[in-house]
Amino acid sequence: MNRSRKRLNLHDILEVRHLTDTSFIIRFEKNDLEFTAGQHVCVGPPNGIHTREYSIYSAVNDPFIEILVKEVQNGLITPVLKGLKAGDSVVVEEPVGYFGLNNTEKFNKKYLFIATGTGISPFHCMVKSNPGLDYKIVHGVRTAEEGYEREEYEKGKYTLCSSRDTSGDYAGRLTNYLQDLKIDEELEVYLCGNCNMIHDAYDILENKGVPNDRIHAEVYF
Amino acid sequence: MKYFLLTLGCQMNMSDSERVASVLDAAGCVRVETEEEANFIGILACSVRQKAIDKVYSKISKWNRWKDKKNLVTFISGCMLPADKEKFLKLFDIVFTMPELPQLPQMLGEYGIANPLSLSAEPQSPVDEIKLFWKVKPKYDSKFEAFVPIQNGCNKFCTYCAVPYTRGREISRPSEEILEEVRGLAEKGYKTITLLGQNVNSYGLDKNGDEITFAQLLEQVGKMGEEIDSEFWVYFTSPHPKDMTTDIFHVIAKYKCLGKQIHFPLQSGDEKVLIKMNRKHSVSKYRESMVALRKILPEATVFTDIIVGFTDETDEQLENTRKVMEEFKYNMAYIAMYSPRPGAASYRWEDTVSLDDKKKRFAILSEELAKHTYEYNKAQMGKTIKVLVREEDRKAGYLSGHTSGKLVIRFKSDNKDLIGQIVELKVTAAAKFSMEGELVTVNQEAAL
Repeated sequence: MNRSRKRLNLHDILEVRHLTDTSFIIRFEKNDLEFTAGQHVCVGPPNGIHTREYSIYSAVNDPFIEILVKEVQNGLITPVLKGLKAGDSVVVEEPVGYFGLNNTEKFNKKYLFIATGTGISPFHCMVKSNPGLDYKIVHGVRTAEEGYEREEYEKGKYTLCSSRDTSGDYAGRLTNYLQDLKIDEELEVYLCGNCNMIHDAYDILENKGVPNDRIHAEVYF
Repeated sequence: MKYFLLTLGCQMNMSDSERVASVLDAAGCVRVETEEEANFIGILACSVRQKAIDKVYSKISKWNRWKDKKNLVTFISGCMLPADKEKFLKLFDIVFTMPELPQLPQMLGEYGIANPLSLSAEPQSPVDEIKLFWKVKPKYDSKFEAFVPIQNGCNKFCTYCAVPYTRGREISRPSEEILEEVRGLAEKGYKTITLLGQNVNSYGLDKNGDEITFAQLLEQVGKMGEEIDSEFWVYFTSPHPKDMTTDIFHVIAKYKCLGKQIHFPLQSGDEKVLIKMNRKHSVSKYRESMVALRKILPEATVFTDIIVGFTDETDEQLENTRKVMEEFKYNMAYIAMYSPRPGAASYRWEDTVSLDDKKKRFAILSEELAKHTYEYNKAQMGKTIKVLVREEDRKAGYLSGHTSGKLVIRFKSDNKDLIGQIVELKVTAAAKFSMEGELVTVNQEAAL
């Protein structure tokens, strides 16, 4: 990569996958960026001054980086990102963040990953980066088409809760599903997505006896 | 060339302004006290509050009107959001980020202003730029209190804060440079040295093992204090609870020169508000650190920062914060009523708590704070304590200063030579946020 592109943090887009009318995955050059599963990157259009934070969707060892984006109506960034295609560039700042698994203990624990919408991204990264991880995912969406690439997860480990249709594994809100779910108090629980869901899930988990040092949260905003 | 520099915002900006002054002085400019006298005027901006940004627009509008009547070059730097920076490019003659400061003489040259400085090496990255910035020797504003930047930027992304967008990611300054600057200040007789950064205790973490940790840095400073004859106190601000480790407290306990005052921002005492703030720590984690702090450093004073009225904060959640204040009995709390900050993530959320409620909550926490500060200050009465004399007090015939725990105390004296010296005072009276004392001893240096 030449010096000026490096200085401007420009990465070539390798592929764009449109998953729904408003959701898409951008795959771009990794260049020399390193990260741990659960971290995020700030990404923005090539000629703009604004970026937004996106959890990394792809696995740590993939030779590229992917982010999962939901278009925000009248947003500053996402409509521009949506219009980009392979060969275009994006500005990518170095990965940061503290949402992640404890590396020394990760294969000795059981995980419950709870996400809404594109909050599934860090969990996709964690699962794909750590084959053999003992996990279950509960994913809350409005319609089942938002169960982004659900076939990627091992059978029986992913539950899709769709609140506005019946095509998911559970018809209803994620929090209703959690109310009825038997939760092992030894689980490490990770929450990612909408803040209201995180607050409601937090109450449910506390009432079910999960101590708050086993609840880890990443708010999407 | 006469220059005027207006610095807005925090201690970090104050520290940055000392380096700007140093570069301008070296370029042959002369600092003046009023903007009217100057033909080169600049601002170090702050994006933390809208008021500060409003002030920038008001000032530049006035200065641009002056250009009809005199030759004037304007500049702006400091904490700028990308959107503001773009607007400033149209309003100011020179716009630069603080890491670009070493290139300021070149920028001046482009305006036909001759100066002896030049830098030919083009920086390659923000990391290289900030390294050059740190190499600029500052012109300290005070003769006895100094700020030393050790780290720049923030990786934490608290939802109420714009710093990650104005200062970029965390970059640690090389420890040799920090230690050299601290040693130079201590040997010159500086009495307080504050290590500065947005997340000081995250120091070194960006170097993945190629730099010492914050505790190790403090240890080096502590050892330096043992070697240097004159007494000085070293502080740091601000740390983040996420990276607070007990080895930091153990090191502070071990060395006399490490100030027994810890600034330990809480922001909220409610778990859910902390989640919404994206603080990356829980009340439980904060409590663990506080318990360790009180055990290892029982004599330390503890200051904190709290935001009241954050989006969707309820009365019950505010009560949780009050209970935490009751539990930890802070010596000072900088309590701020939440206001959405442009550029921060929470700016996109509705500001749901009314101003009246924010004021009520501010009053509740202020009252809680005062209970504990008054009790603490009363307990100091009769004790003899060391105090750095900082200035003339508002009360005529009195001087005022800070204890090593940074508590405010005043005493009767008209000897201005004491300013900048460490003296001993016997505490004779206590109020909520200050104490009064009488002079017991003056050290040799001040008596001469």
